Amino acid sequence: MTASDPMTTPSTPPVPSTPPVPESAPSPPALSCRGLSKRYGDVHAVRDVGFDIAPGEAYGLLGPNGAGKTTTISMLVGLIRPGGGHVRVCGVDLAADPMRAKARIGYVPQEIALYPELTGRENLRFFGRLFGLPRRALAGRIDEVLDLVGLTGRADSRLKTYSGGMKRRINIGTALLHRPDVLILDEPTVGVDPQSRKAILDGVERLVGEGMSLLYTSHYMEEVERVCDRVAIIDHGRIIAEGTRRELIALVGGADKVELSLDGDLETALAKLRAVEGVIEAAMTGAASIRLLTEGGRYLLPALITAVDGCAAVTATQVIEPDLEATFLHLTGSTLRD
Amino acid sequence: MWRALAAVGALELRTRLRDGTALVIALIVPVTLATLFSVALGGDDPPLRATVGFVDLDRGEFPASVRREVAGSEELKGSVTLRDLPGREEARRALDDGGIGAAIVFPAGFSRSVGEGRGGDVAVLTSPESPLAGVVARAVVDRISALVDARTLAVRAVLKAGVPGDEVKELVERNGAAGPVPALEDDPLSGGKVDLSVHYGSGMAALFAFFVAGASFRGLLTERKLGTLDRMRAGPLAAWVPFAGKAAVGFALALVSVCVTWAASVLVSGATWGDPPAVFAVLLAHVLAAAAITMLVTSRVRTDAQADGVIMVVSFVMAFLGGSLVPMHSLPGVLQAAALLTPNGWTSTALTGLAGSGAGPAGSVGAVAGPVAVLGAIALVAGGLAVLGMKKGTLL
Repeated sequence: MTASDPMTTPSTPPVPSTPPVPESAPSPPALSCRGLSKRYGDVHAVRDVGFDIAPGEAYGLLGPNGAGKTTTISMLVGLIRPGGGHVRVCGVDLAADPMRAKARIGYVPQEIALYPELTGRENLRFFGRLFGLPRRALAGRIDEVLDLVGLTGRADSRLKTYSGGMKRRINIGTALLHRPDVLILDEPTVGVDPQSRKAILDGVERLVGEGMSLLYTSHYMEEVERVCDRVAIIDHGRIIAEGTRRELIALVGGADKVELSLDGDLETALAKLRAVEGVIEAAMTGAASIRLLTEGGRYLLPALITAVDGCAAVTATQVIEPDLEATFLHLTGSTLRD
Repeated sequence: MWRALAAVGALELRTRLRDGTALVIALIVPVTLATLFSVALGGDDPPLRATVGFVDLDRGEFPASVRREVAGSEELKGSVTLRDLPGREEARRALDDGGIGAAIVFPAGFSRSVGEGRGGDVAVLTSPESPLAGVVARAVVDRISALVDARTLAVRAVLKAGVPGDEVKELVERNGAAGPVPALEDDPLSGGKVDLSVHYGSGMAALFAFFVAGASFRGLLTERKLGTLDRMRAGPLAAWVPFAGKAAVGFALALVSVCVTWAASVLVSGATWGDPPAVFAVLLAHVLAAAAITMLVTSRVRTDAQADGVIMVVSFVMAFLGGSLVPMHSLPGVLQAAALLTPNGWTSTALTGLAGSGAGPAGSVGAVAGPVAVLGAIALVAGGLAVLGMKKGTLL
C-alpha cells in the first residue's frame, strides 16, 4: 500500500477532539479568550475572537497574512491591550494579574528574538533570570532545555554562528525555560530546512504528549494538521470556523477519492466495487486502474480489496482525502500563502 | 522584579563593554578631546595682548586710582595697555574696528556719587573677538564694585549718624573704609586661563553625556527590532523593567564619563573646576537632562539608525548653542540667548562661574542651585514627554 500524501496516513494515532478531563476536578482551560477585539483607526484587526484550549490540547490558528493571527497572539501574551474582551491563562485573568498569567505562558515569536552576540547558553541564562528562575536551578534547567532542543554541543557558540534551524530550536527552547503550561508558537518553522522542521515538529509533539497545551500558527497546513487536535480558521479578524480536522473538512462535504491499480478482469472488478457499501461512484481510468468516489475511503480499503478477490488483484492503492487546504479555500476564498 | 532589573542592567553593561562603545565614547574620546583642546587652545602662558579702552567722564579719584593701579601692576605689564578714549561712542567704534579688546567707562559724577553714599555704575564694553580683554576689564570693575559697595555703606552709616556732609569723606577714610584704590592683588588673566581650560573640559563632558546616555536608549529600538523587547514584555515582569535597566546603565555610564573627563581635565591642566560638591551637582543635573532629551529623541523615531542620526544632530546643536564647543561669549547675542534653552548653556554657565569664583558662597552648591533647578526642570519635561512617546511606541 502506498500513500502519496503523508498527511493522509499520519504517523501518530488520532487524538480525541477534547482531552479527557476528570469529572471530579474540572480544571479551567489552559488558555481561554472571549470577545477579543482590536481596532487600529478604522481597521478592525480582530473582531470578537474567542476560543478555549484545554490542558494538554494542541490548538491551531490558521489564516492568511493580515487575517489577525499575530494581533490575536499579541493580545494573548499581553503585548497589546485588547480593545475588548478578556484572556484567562489557567483561570488567571491576564488583565487583572498579568505577572501570574504571563508566568504560565511560553511565547515563541515569529522572529528569532534572541541576542546574536551571545552564546546559546548566555541567551538562555539571561531569559531564565528575567523570568525569575532561581540561580541555582537555572544552570540545570538550561542543560535540560539544551538537551531537549538538541543543542547541547553548540551551547557555547555565539548565536550568530547557528544555522537557521538551530536558531529556531533555541528560540523555542527559550520559551520552555520556566516550564510554562501553555506554549504559543507563532510560525515556528518559517525558513528552516526540512530536517530542522522535522526536529521542531517532533519536539512540539513530544511536549504536547507530555501534557503541555499548545497554540500553533503556521502557513504550512500539513504542520497544523499533524500537530493540532483542533483548528480555528481566522480571516479578516474573525474566526470563521473551528473544530477538529475532520469536522472542518466535513464543512466542505467532499468525498474521498480512491485510486486502485489492478491486474485481472477490470470489468468484473468494477461491477463488484460499485456494489460495495460506501462507494458512491466508480470508473475505469486506464487499462489497469479504477477510480472510486467513497465515504471514508481509508477505512473502506479492506472491503474493496476483498470485493475484487477472485477476478483481479490489487497492486497499489492511493487514498486522496479532502484536506484543510481545500476547506480553507472553500471558507476564505484564498489560499494560506496569499 | 529587582532580579529582572539587575539582569537587564547587567546585560546592557556587558554589551556596552563588549562592543567597546562604553570605553570609547564614555572615556577615551571625551578625555582625549578635552585634553587636546585644553592644551592647544588653553595654554600655560598668558595669551593676552590686549588693549583696554579707558573712558573717564568722571575725572575723579576712582578712575585716577584705577589708571595708576593698572599701570603699576606687574602681572599686566606688557600684556594690557590702557588707551584713553573721549567717550562711550568712540569706545564702541574702537571695539568694532578691533582697535581695543574691551573698554571701561566711568560716567560723569561717579566719584562724587560714591562719596555721597549713592553708589554708581561703571560700564564694561566687550567684544566677542577678544574675550580675554573682557576678562581683565571685568576683573578691574569687580574690584571697583567691591570698593564702591564698601564706601557707599560707610557713607550712609555716617550720614545716618548725623555727621555733616562736608565731614563725611574725611571721617570715613580716617575710620578704615578703604579709599578708591582697586588693588589688583591676583593676576586678572588667571580667570581667563581657567575659563578656557574648564570650558573645553566641561564642554566635551557635556557633549559626550548625550552620546553615552543616548546609546542605551537607542538600544531599546535595537531590541524592538530584534524582537527581544517583545519577548521580555511577554514575560512575567513589569513593562518598565527593560527600559529602566537600560536607562540606569546609560545614566551611570554618562555620569562616569563626565566625572572622568572632569578629573582628567584637572590633572592635565591643573585648573580647578571649583567646589567639588557643586561641580558634581551640576554634572549630575546635566546628565539627567541629557538622558531625558535622548530618551525623548528615541521615543519619537522609528529605528535605531534614525536615533543615531537625530541624537548626533541634537547633541551637536545643543553643544554649539550651549557653549560646549565655542565659548558662549564668542557667540552673537541671539545665540547667547538661545543657549539658555539648552542644558549645555546652563551647565557651561554654572561651571564657568564655579571655576572663577574660588572658595566662599559664590562657589558653593547654593550658588549653582538655579542652573541645577533649570536642568532638573528640563529633565522633567523631556522625560515626561519621552515616557508618553515610549508608551505609545511600545518601548515602555
